[in-house]
Amino acid sequence: MPVVWSALWRNRAESVLTLLALSVAFALFSVMIAINAAYERAIDDTRIDRLIVSCAFDCGTIPLSYREQLARIDGVSAVGGELWVGGGKDTNEHHLTTVTFMDEGMRSAWPELPMTPADWRALDISPTGIFLTRTAAARRNARIGDTMTMNATPGTGTDGSGTWFFTVLGFIADPKGWGQQWSPDMIVGNLRYFQNSGNADERGLVNYLRVAVDRPEHARAVCREIEVRFTNATPALSCVPAKENAEEQMDANINMRQISLAIAAAGLFMILFLCANGTAESVRERLSEFGILQAIGFANGRIAWLVVLEAAAPTILAALIGSAVAPVVCMILSHLAIKGVINLPAVRASPVALGWALAAALLIALLSAVAPLYRLLRTDVAMMIARR
Amino acid sequence: MSELRQIAAVCVVGIGTLRDRYVPALVIVVGMACVVGVLTSMLSVTDGLTRAYLRTEDAARAIVWADGARFDQSRSLKPDVIGTILDAPGIAREADGVPLADPEFLMWLPPVEGFAAGSLQLRGIGPAGLALRPAFRIVAGHMFGTGTRELAVGVGAARKFGLHVGSEVRLRDGKWRIVGVFSCGADIIESYLVGDAPTVMTARRSPGFAQVIVQLVDTQAYPGFQKWLMENPAIDVSVERKADYDLRVVGADTSFFTRMSYIIGAMMALGALFGVVKIMYGAVRARTREIGTLRAIGFGSTPVALSVLLEAALLGAVGAVVGAAIAWLIFDGREMWVWGAFKLHVSPHLWLLGLAWAIITSLLGGLAPALRAGRLPPSEALRAE
Repeated sequence: MPVVWSALWRNRAESVLTLLALSVAFALFSVMIAINAAYERAIDDTRIDRLIVSCAFDCGTIPLSYREQLARIDGVSAVGGELWVGGGKDTNEHHLTTVTFMDEGMRSAWPELPMTPADWRALDISPTGIFLTRTAAARRNARIGDTMTMNATPGTGTDGSGTWFFTVLGFIADPKGWGQQWSPDMIVGNLRYFQNSGNADERGLVNYLRVAVDRPEHARAVCREIEVRFTNATPALSCVPAKENAEEQMDANINMRQISLAIAAAGLFMILFLCANGTAESVRERLSEFGILQAIGFANGRIAWLVVLEAAAPTILAALIGSAVAPVVCMILSHLAIKGVINLPAVRASPVALGWALAAALLIALLSAVAPLYRLLRTDVAMMIARR
Repeated sequence: MSELRQIAAVCVVGIGTLRDRYVPALVIVVGMACVVGVLTSMLSVTDGLTRAYLRTEDAARAIVWADGARFDQSRSLKPDVIGTILDAPGIAREADGVPLADPEFLMWLPPVEGFAAGSLQLRGIGPAGLALRPAFRIVAGHMFGTGTRELAVGVGAARKFGLHVGSEVRLRDGKWRIVGVFSCGADIIESYLVGDAPTVMTARRSPGFAQVIVQLVDTQAYPGFQKWLMENPAIDVSVERKADYDLRVVGADTSFFTRMSYIIGAMMALGALFGVVKIMYGAVRARTREIGTLRAIGFGSTPVALSVLLEAALLGAVGAVVGAAIAWLIFDGREMWVWGAFKLHVSPHLWLLGLAWAIITSLLGGLAPALRAGRLPPSEALRAE
């Protein structure tokens, strides 16, 4: 180790610069692995035993009354309805864009929604109340008790106005998962209130019905049964298991899940040459030192170890530093996501990313050491000592 | 010798010795190639998508929406207001006097097995829809008829969903047959099915268009056209330039990705910057005697420092060209699907951006080594091993 240490410390400034370059590359690598893991986790968190039922032919809304018919289908354990009512964007932070009105069936149909029984009760007893996810609250600087307005078209009330007033009852965690019917920026309202206060044309309608099935393996069969049963209804229904929907949605958009891995690989390739050049330079400059080591009895294997260790020390250190920096970058990305600047699922650096970073560091060190070692082990001891 | 000639001479000497230092030089080239390759590859997605939506002819076009429903899938624009809209001033007309304006809508069809809901879409167009799209060509089969259950499919949608002449898709009133495949100069409409708007509207049992796409006589006609419609008490509509609409749609799909591209590009550039500093310090070290000799025979410190900076910039530029070339070879023209088919485009603008990105990074990285080279005392430099 002292030999390795003295070799690394021989030119401190350049060693530090190499370490910084490697650390940045490993930080990027860890962040990309974390982004990839975030998308994978989002898919994993979306359950196969939840179905999304919507209108089959571009009609936008379906009758809430379908809920009871769906509940009678074998394998269905719960049905809940949701209606998305959107208002225009406004610079005023106390304006809402979209409120998701949910009925009481959603408690059992979507139990993963992070609302407690107390939250549901609060929503029941205060019809104009809303709950905001943490992201929704952060984007609007909302506080409990705030009055927020939504200017919705369509979505006019019985008074002919499209302006709705809501009171913030509390905050909930961002729902886990992914898909068309999922958003971290979610505002949950009381569907009964909207049904009672909306204009007659828009009552009794929802955008989606969420269905919980008793067993995951029944999901596709129940979906088929729903589509068959409602094929001649007006409107007809379309059904997809939530997990399939999440995967399809991910593939239909710019696929950061795949792109992140390509970027991670490009980052490592970038530093491979830097590391290889550093190792080659070091070996070339210390040729006589290696010659002396061989002359005093160091076997080729031990010399090889020295070179590999010398290459591995900065890469492993950089992998550790990069992995330590990555959570900070992930926090910045999550902050940007919460603010709506970028759209990512919650990104968290994980021990798995550290494991991959260390493995990549070792691989880069080994590849960097190959060429200098080949040259070193083929050079005659006398020539080495003579530095030729 | 003038400063400029000194700079040129020192640069020539420095670049001449690159052959002896080709491995470290390669490190900068490869590093910058990776940075620029990743950046341009990512941004080629945004560029390609923008090209698919934003057509040059859109500059003199406008879209009329029902007020408060400015999205393609809306059906809030009732047929009885279309006549009034077509009376607005500034609309270009065909030779026979028919206004170049088409009421249209986009509707979702039930998803094809294995694809996301919303990915298969049908655009209802009228006769003027073809006049507004001069690049529209039937490449297989024939054009759909009016009053029949016939559709044509764009080449992008045909490839994506495996549709062809003879395929059938389900609409609300039953199965509709695909009778033709069309291309439209890589316009985003190639990702959709198209059908006769009034016939499709009847099938979906919902009378209403999303928008009227209007060809104006020229770009100056827009304010008058907009004012006439917005102030007309008989209709409740909003008007938008087609180009603004295109940017709005593309922005919604790509703004996140563009920001991510720059964040990642900046992180990679930071790593490459440290690499450049290290390599250029090494270069100055390797050239110490040469620099000492140049100083001793009368070359100033500024030309020496500038030669180091220019060498870094040159290597960065070579790396940028290599990176952009690799991105261009791999990605340019490759088809991608983000709610519609489009071709990735490594545009000249992206080449220039990559070049600027790499040169700035290299110049920043070369700054400290250049200062060191400029400050080397000749006597000390000449004694270097």
